[in-house]
Amino acid sequence: MEEDEFFGEKTFQHDCAEFIKHSQQIGDGWEWRTSKDSSDGYMCKTHLQIKSGTTVSHLGTSALVQTCLPMEEALEPPLDDFELTETATATEVIKYEYHVLYSCSYQVPVLYFRASFLDGRPLTLKDIWEGVHECYRMRLLQGPWDTITQQEHPILGQPFFVLHPCKTNEFMTPVVKNSRKINRNVNYITSWLSIVGPAVGLNVPLSYAGAASQDE
Amino acid sequence: MAEDPESSLQLPPSTAAEGEGPTEGSPETVTPEPPSSAAVSPGTEEPVGDTKKKIDILLKAVGDTPIMKTKKWAVERTRTIQGLIDFIKKFLKLVASEQLFIYVNQSFAPSPDQEVGTLYECFGSDGKLVLHYCKSQAWG
Repeated sequence: MEEDEFFGEKTFQHDCAEFIKHSQQIGDGWEWRTSKDSSDGYMCKTHLQIKSGTTVSHLGTSALVQTCLPMEEALEPPLDDFELTETATATEVIKYEYHVLYSCSYQVPVLYFRASFLDGRPLTLKDIWEGVHECYRMRLLQGPWDTITQQEHPILGQPFFVLHPCKTNEFMTPVVKNSRKINRNVNYITSWLSIVGPAVGLNVPLSYAGAASQDE
Repeated sequence: MAEDPESSLQLPPSTAAEGEGPTEGSPETVTPEPPSSAAVSPGTEEPVGDTKKKIDILLKAVGDTPIMKTKKWAVERTRTIQGLIDFIKKFLKLVASEQLFIYVNQSFAPSPDQEVGTLYECFGSDGKLVLHYCKSQAWG
């Protein structure tokens, strides 16, 4: 795999494939989808979240606990699928969808996302922000409309929120440059998603970090 | 989990030699602190039972990010990545609009609520956890 000066579409597809491989190993739910009309493809994940007041419980495997520790030292047994971490009182189930597409104009990956209640009612951006980690909120609330826009999904043609890609190069370049300096292959998608994910409430389990760079 | 960063982080660096296990009479040991105090302190290694309460973190700058004069810190295991980010931002006197990211393996940004103790278990070696940090204006 060659690291070009830019992040080309081939590298995008390759890195997504590697990312999905690891996702399958830990049951993180990412899949690749292709468009019927062209060879374009994207990576996507859907997850359900229960929201009750200020606490959020996740349905699904807790990959964080499962995979980053040596087998003999596992702290706790892995959570069963659909086991709730806490009892929710006044609850709402929200479906989040995250799509990772390639932007030819910016030559970077772009994160599309949307959320809706199970009855199909879409969440507003404001509702989504309540799931965003505090540390990002202050910064993003100052002007989320500068950094998050609603756009038509290039392949599905439906409205999604989009984390604007114009600054992606700025924070990814140091990571990529550094990886070349130390002669290590870094999975661009993994690195990038680990950074932007939390800003929109997407958790990228720690076990990807071991798979993010191959050096050992 | 959310401690007040102001009261729990202190300046003096850890200059303890690498390696795990108790270090009695280590030449660079500063006066030991009581276990209940600050989350970041000089790196005296005082294991509580089998587990050390604090772990050693080595901070390395990436790109054009300013380098911290003090790179090695002893940090409480329960300190979150976000707490560490806040601390480094204050230490480097970054403005609010500047983002700071922390990476393990020089490639992956743990989520803000991740505890450093867990990162140490997964990625620590030679008695310390190496974290890279990078300043950037990611949004806006």
